[in-house]
Formats: sequence, structure tokens, C-alpha cells
Amino acid sequence: MSVRPEEITVVPRGPEPGGKGGAYRAFGETLRGLRTTMSQMFTKPVTIQYPEEKTPVYPRFRGRHRLHRFEDTGLEKCVGCSLCAAACPAQCIRVVAAENDPENRVSAGERYAAVYEINLARCIFCGYCELACPFDAITMGHDYEMADYNRSDLIFTKEMLLAEPIERAPLRREGE
Amino acid sequence: MPRTQPNRITLTIDGREIEADEGTMLVDAAREGDVEIPVFCYEPKLGEPVGACRMCLVEIEGIPKLQTSCSTPVRDGMVVHTRTDQVKEAQESVVEFLLVNHPLDCPVCDKGGECPLQDISMGWGPDRNRMVDQKRHFEKPVPLSPLVAIDRERCILCYRCVRFSQEVSEDEQLQLLERGDATFVGTFDDRPYIAPFQGNITELCPVGALTSYTYRFRARPWDIEQGGSVCTLCPSQCNVSFTVRDEQVARVLARDNPEVDDGWLCDKGRYAFQAMYADDRVLGPEVTSDGHSTPASWQEAEETAAEGLASAGSRTAILVGDASNEEGYLLQRILRQALGSGDIDSRRGPGVDGDAALKLADPAISAQTSDIDTADLVIVVGTDPIQSAPSFDLRVRKAVRRNGTALAVASDRPGALEGGATEVVRFPPGGAPAFLEELAGKVKRGRAKTGLAGLIADSEQTVIVWGERIVQGAGGRAAVEALVELSEAAGLADQEGSGLIGIPDNANGRGLREVGCLPDAGPGLSPTGPGRDAGAIREGLESGELEAVVLFGVDPIRDLPDPEGWRRALEAAGHVVAFSLARNESTEFADVLLPLESHAEKDGTVTHPDGRIQRVRPSARRPGEVRPVWQVLTELAAMLGSSTGITSTPEALEAVASAVPFYAGLTDSEIGGRGVRWQERPAAKDLGTPSPDLTLYATAPGPFSPLGSGAAGLEADEASVLEPASGVGRSHTDSSGGTTPPSSVSDLPTPKDGQLLLGTYPNLWADQVVESSPALRFLVPAQRLEISGPDATRLGLSTGDEVSVRSGEESVNARVAVRAAMPEGACFLIEGTPADNGNRVAGEDGGPTLVEIGPPEVRLELVTSGGGPEGDEAA
Ligand code: SF4
Ligand code: SF4
Ligand code: FES
Repeated sequence: MSVRPEEITVVPRGPEPGGKGGAYRAFGETLRGLRTTMSQMFTKPVTIQYPEEKTPVYPRFRGRHRLHRFEDTGLEKCVGCSLCAAACPAQCIRVVAAENDPENRVSAGERYAAVYEINLARCIFCGYCELACPFDAITMGHDYEMADYNRSDLIFTKEMLLAEPIERAPLRREGE
Repeated sequence: MPRTQPNRITLTIDGREIEADEGTMLVDAAREGDVEIPVFCYEPKLGEPVGACRMCLVEIEGIPKLQTSCSTPVRDGMVVHTRTDQVKEAQESVVEFLLVNHPLDCPVCDKGGECPLQDISMGWGPDRNRMVDQKRHFEKPVPLSPLVAIDRERCILCYRCVRFSQEVSEDEQLQLLERGDATFVGTFDDRPYIAPFQGNITELCPVGALTSYTYRFRARPWDIEQGGSVCTLCPSQCNVSFTVRDEQVARVLARDNPEVDDGWLCDKGRYAFQAMYADDRVLGPEVTSDGHSTPASWQEAEETAAEGLASAGSRTAILVGDASNEEGYLLQRILRQALGSGDIDSRRGPGVDGDAALKLADPAISAQTSDIDTADLVIVVGTDPIQSAPSFDLRVRKAVRRNGTALAVASDRPGALEGGATEVVRFPPGGAPAFLEELAGKVKRGRAKTGLAGLIADSEQTVIVWGERIVQGAGGRAAVEALVELSEAAGLADQEGSGLIGIPDNANGRGLREVGCLPDAGPGLSPTGPGRDAGAIREGLESGELEAVVLFGVDPIRDLPDPEGWRRALEAAGHVVAFSLARNESTEFADVLLPLESHAEKDGTVTHPDGRIQRVRPSARRPGEVRPVWQVLTELAAMLGSSTGITSTPEALEAVASAVPFYAGLTDSEIGGRGVRWQERPAAKDLGTPSPDLTLYATAPGPFSPLGSGAAGLEADEASVLEPASGVGRSHTDSSGGTTPPSSVSDLPTPKDGQLLLGTYPNLWADQVVESSPALRFLVPAQRLEISGPDATRLGLSTGDEVSVRSGEESVNARVAVRAAMPEGACFLIEGTPADNGNRVAGEDGGPTLVEIGPPEVRLELVTSGGGPEGDEAA
């Protein structure tokens, strides 16, 4: 089958490599690169003296999770519905619910999370749990310093997640 | 009404050609053709469709208005549309209406994730709700019963639970109360809903209105796994599905099997799983030395057990209670092959012996469970299914209600089914043989126009459900003969869908008989030299003729007649090896205590009363040190010098299949999830062929031959063992000698002045697993004495009085319950209650006996904390 001329696309090619022209061009490009390098040499360095200094994070940064309480009643927002566990693609959340004792409420609903554990060794910080939660009980915090010596220490329990975290990561300022 | 083969017709749904049986409902036909129509109120298990929710509306060409597909039978050439705009609008409005009053509290609702309302709202509903007004409010959640919580706000008034209560279990307690949007589900006067099948409503409810207290908030569908198995807590062997979270059973659901349970479960099967994790469960092997029981390694325990058994040799007996076919087979093999004894029993009394079992197993006169649905006449003899095998109760009710089946109940004790019966016959305790003989005679003569005999003559398909009790004790043999005669006279053999179904006392009673746990029959019901039955084992142990005993899943001090005798027997026994799920009084006597697996942990097969072989499959982790029991048994066998060569569960089944001629060739995959009736397999023709295994067994000396001389008795019996059988119905080598008392119907004890004839009956809830399940504890029965009105007047008693029931040395206290329809001169006690066990005053072989009623005995009750058997010793 013959090719019709309108079907042909012409791909323009650069000059052949090699020869004198090539050498000049390479030298010119190197100079252009060096200009960038030189100009950076006199700006402030971006390197941070971690851990003395911390990288500031954006407000929507997805760090270590936090569980929340209602400010007025102090009850836990989490009702132990397990939706976060269902949404979690890394399957690192374990919820065991129990029935509230009306005299001694833990959460506002009929049920509460008797066990709430996140295995941060497996968490991929996708934030799906936060999205799934119908009560805004779990949110992703800003803490990203979670290294530890034991894998089992990376399983965060409900008490640890509810506790007011030591805010170590500074927030990035507006426009920064 | 014989089962008919329906015509196949063709219809079009959404442009697809679909073939379906004529008369099926449109939804079902659509499902067969992979078209899904949403439904709420439609549930074929509940009977005729009611068309209450309108969720299933579809457009049918030629009919101007939308039709409910759940109640429209298909016709040839029908053209149906399920996705037109009109249908869509209807579906959206229905969902919107359903959600008008629904609280939409899915995150806290227990049904979330497995909720038909959620699914349907997502799939067919509008994506928003226009409702801005107040929704209706109820107090919630409130207990509907001690087992079920109800949240009336979530209820969508689909009627399912009410229909179940009214039309399936027929307890008629649930009602829809009030009118309009104030309607709610409840009971009269807010009484707790107490009925043996109430757990089913939690499974029926399409929303989270009805939830089980045992499962509330325990898990979400994505936290769990479902594992199919069979419930072995009673002979109905309902198919179940275990919900397993963190490797523990958290819930039991029904697994529909129309041939077995129709998709229902009783509350024992549903809630007694809690016993698996109760404190009294045996979690590892224990060995007793110097009167102290201490945990031991498996090796040590097995060695101690084997040593004791080896030294007792042929003076060993085995009692089997709750066991799978494989376990039963291995037990009898150890006994017969390695120890040279034949003293094994799996029954409560000398009931169905090998010969009788063989006669009654004839496939021609056996019915299958679903035959009850289509029968013209169902006769229930000598058993009250609600107590002995609850799912049969629902099955019979269904036949009567939906098929117009005539029901005849003949029993000594008034039972639950009598309300719907066309014919009720009452005989005194132990009077079943006489009744059956008379009935068989009448039917044979064929002149009866009225009464039960007349009913039999008028019916084509007759199913007789009989309880093992009627063939026990004196007159047992006569009862078997009469049953066989009756089935011949009634022509059950020639009529498709007719036959006998025998309800054994043990959950796997039939399987255990067939794999050889009978004193006079080995695997495949092949006759062996007669051994001791349960009663004789007790006497043998007591007199020292027997040295060792293995108790397997049985607590003889509680479950068998003469508990005092058993106490003495176990005391006297030189070596007691007890396999038990939980600690009980009998295990206290154990020299070696070995744990058993529960039915959620076991891998094996069991045989349903109608011959269906089903698989029990493991779904939960074995707690503690518990190990597969078949493995323990093969190791024991090897230690005792008869290696079985079994190294896996399929091999264990293979061994059973090759030992039982009519199970030949059975495999796991053939049994599958639904089980297979051996009567329907080609190997069934081998019923009556002697088991090839018999050549392996050194037969035990009979109970009356000199003991200790092992080998001498052996030779004499060899001939009878190898004697080829001539087929079904041949006479047994030694059926009337030894253990089975020769019977005549007339030797029932006659009550003298002031005496009553006592019968005992098994109560579904008088069981250790019930006491060990916190949810069910409220159902544990206290002993009660049922007597007739005239007797009560004569003795000056009225309901609620405390009395003592005395027979010989023994007496138990009980509360009087005067019942209508009781036979005069008779009274009944419950067997195996935790306190005041009726077995203590029951007849020797579990049969009827004479008792005197007196003022209550003063007792010092030993107060134990919950669970375990209460001390009921006389002070
Ligand atoms: S954190 Fe939110 S989504 Fe997770 S269990 Fe609690 S309420 Fe449910
Ligand atoms: S309680 Fe459940 S099953 Fe009963 S009517 Fe309401 S929604 Fe239906
Ligand atoms: S499912 Fe058809 S009307 Fe309810």
C-alpha cells in the first residue's frame, strides 16, 4: 500500500554531532550551566541543620495521625466504626469496638473504639483514613519524626494517638 | 404430594433470553439470568411472597402498571424491563421513602458493611434525601430478648421478623404494634421474646434494627472471615458458617442447605459457640499423679494413656459421645485391633443394636429430610424435635403450613408439634413398642378408615420421624421390628419420598453406629462378637471385670442413666482416659485428660440422621495446646502397636470409607459443602457386606465369658466374625443374647398406689455448653416434674410446688408443672440438668421406672460460681 504525502510527518533533526560546530556548542552549553552554579554559590544555602533545625511542613502535610476528642464534652470523636480500617490500603489500622456504658461514656455514639491501633511501620500516609472517617475523629498530623528502635514501638495505640503530640515540626509560613 | 418436574420456559429480561422453571418468581428467574432486581421483603425461606416493600418493581410489557417481581410468577414469552426510566423512578422513590424515617447512623450501626439497605440505597437509591422534618424517635437500643437488641428507629417495617415468628417458628410472639408511622415491632406487653429460634431474626433483618448481643460491635465485615462447617450440638447437624475474627469464632450464621436445615439455626447452635472460649474448656493434656492433675506434654500424656490401656488390654472399654466419624472409627479400631476388646458404646441405653441399625438403614425405607416438605403424612413418634433436633421441628411445621401435610404425633410426653397435628396419640412412658406393634398390625390388616392407620392408608407419601428413645430399654427390639413392619405395611419402600428418619440421641449417633461404635457391630454395621453396652461397661468397671475406660466426648455422670453408679464405676476404674471439650464431673476421675476440638476447629465428617455425610471443617484456631484429635488417636494406636498408617485428614476419611462398605470411595470433594447421602451413592448396595476391617480385629470376649483369658474367647468368636452376611435383614449372630434384653411389650412396670411411671426426656438446654455460654445461661432449665391434672389433684400438688421424686435409693427435687394432655399415671423429668439430674432416678437402661413423689429433700447446695455443674449431693 502506497503512502500518501499528507500522511508523512517530517521529524526535524538537529545538526550532526561531531565537527567544529559541535565542539563550540558543547562549550557554550557548559558555560551556560556554570552560570547557574556560580549564581547559586552566593545565595543562602537550603540545607537545614537537621535535627537541630526542622523542615517546616505545609498545613496539609500528612504526618503521623491524631485522634480527636470533642472540645466541649471531652468524649472521643471516634465511634469505632472501622471505616478507616476498611479504607486503609496498607491494612495497618485495627479497630475493636465495644458498646458504650451510658453511665460512663467514652464516645458520643452507641459504640466506641476499645482498641484502636495504627501500625506506623506499614502506614503509607495516604490519608485515606482521614477521608473515610465520618466523624473527623482521625486526622493526619504534622509529626514526621517516627523512627524508633523497635518495630513493635511503631504500633501506636489509641492513648498515644489521642495524646496531645509534642509539636516538633514547624509549619511553613504563608507563601514560603 | 409428589415432587413434580416443572416445565422450562423462556422469557426476556432486559433484552436477555432467560430460561426458567415455570412458576418461579420473576426475581429468581432474573437472578438466574444474571439480572439483579433489588428486594427487601422477599425471602423465599419465609414462605409465600407478601409484596410489602415495593422495592422490586419492574415493567412487564403488556401490563400498564409496574409489577412487583417478587410475587409475579414467570410466564412463557414474558418481556420484562428492569432499567427503564419508569422503573428507576419507582425504585428511587421507594428507597427515599424507606429512608424517610431511617436514622442513617451507619457508622455506629452494627449492620454497616453487610446491610442490604446500604447496598440498595447505593445501587438503586437517589443520591440525596429531601426529608427535612423530624424523623420518628424511639428509645433505643432496647432488649427485645436477652439475646437480641432492637433499634426501632432503624426498622424499615419489612415484616420479615414478624413473619418468621408467626409463620416459621410459629411462636407468634412478635407483632407489629400501633399504626402508620408509629408502627413498631414488639411483643405483647413488652415481654421478652423467648423462643428457641429467635436468633434467626437477626439474620433476617435487612437493616440493623435487630442485633445479637453476642456480636454487637464485635467486628465489621472486613475484619472477619467466614468458614463453613456443620453444627454438631444436636443431631440436626445444621450447616453453619462461622464468623471468625482474630482466629476466634465471633458469630455463627446459618448456611442455607435446603436438604438439611432450610437455612435456620436454633439458638443453641447460634450462641453456644461461647462455650469454646469458656473457662472450663480443657486447653491441654493433663496427667494425674498422686491425686493431683498437672499439665503434661502431649508425649507424656499419650504415653501414660497408652501404658494404662496396654496393661488393661482387653479389659478396656470405650464410651463415645460427641465424635466425628473418623474419631469414632479410630476409637473402635484401637479397642478392637490393638486392645482386643469389643466393649464400646455410643448410645444411652441398649437401643438400636447392629442388627436393628442394619434393618433400619435399608435405603428403600429411608427418607431424606426434604421429603418431609412434600409428604402427605408425617408421623413423629417418640420424640419432640424441639428438644432433640430443633430444625426438624421447623421442617415439620413448614410442611403442615405450606403443603397441607397431615401430621400425626405419637409420644409419651406432650410435645411442641401437637398444636398443628391432625392426630395425637399418647402412650405411657415405654409404651412406644406396643403402640407401634398395634399400629403396624392395623395398617397391615388395612381395614382402618379412621385414626392414624386410616391416615396412613390414605396417604401416598409418608415420612416417619422416630426418636431413638422408643427402641430403648425393654421392648426395644419389638419396637424395631414393629417399625420395619410398619414401613412395609405402609409401603414406604415402594413410594418415592417416603420412609423413616431416626433421630439418634447423640449429635452424630448415626455416624458413630455406622463406623462401628456399637458393642455388637464393627464398621459398616458388620456384626462382631457381642461386647458390653454402656450399662454393662458401668457394671464391669464397678465389679472390677473391666480395668480401664476411655471416655470420649461424654460425661457419663451427667449424660447417662444411673449417675451414682457411674461415679462408683469411674472411682473403681484402674485407668480412666478422658477426652473432653470441657471439664466436668467425669473428667475429675481422669488419669489422663486430653482436650477435644470444638466443631469450629475439627476436620472430619459426620452423618446426618438421614444418612447425609457432611464435613465439619476447621475455621478457628485451636486454643491452647489443643491438637487435631485424629492425630492423637493415630499416635495412641501406634503406641499400642497397631499403626494405622493415617497421616492426614483425607487419609482418615479414606480409612473410614474403606472400612465401611457403604461409604466406599467417599472423598472430601464428593462430600463438598452440601454433603452427600450415602443411600444415593452406588456403594449403598454394599449395605450388609461385612467390613474388610474385620479381619484386622481380634474380637473381644463377650461380656459373660471368663475375662483375662483373652485369647480363649477370641478363637471362639472368630467364626462368627468372618461369617459372610447374607444381606440386609439377616438375623444377627447374637442379637438377643447378652446385652440386649429379650423384649416383650407387656413387661412395662405397673404403678402401685401413689406411684407414678417416670419417663425422662432430653432438654435442648440441659447441656454443659449452654451453661458455659454466658448468653444462654438464662435458658438453663431447673428440674421440673411434669404431671397430669388428675394425678396432681390426687397427690394434692399444683404447679410450682417443690417435691422430691424418689426411685429406690435415689431422689431428686423438682418443681411441679401440671400439664394438660399428659398421660395419666405418668410423669416426666429432664435428663442432665445441672442440679437434680433426672438421670439419677431414671430406669437402669434409661427406660421408664416407677417413682414416688414426696416432700422436697433438704439439701445443702454447693454454691459454685456460674458455669460448671452445681453440686447436687444430698446433705
Ligand atoms: S477514626 Fe473515624 S473512621 Fe476510624 S473507626 Fe473511628 S470514627 Fe470510624
Ligand atoms: S425489625 Fe428488621 S426484620 Fe423486623 S420489620 Fe424491622 S426491618 Fe424488618
Ligand atoms: S421484594 Fe417485592 S415487594 Fe418487597
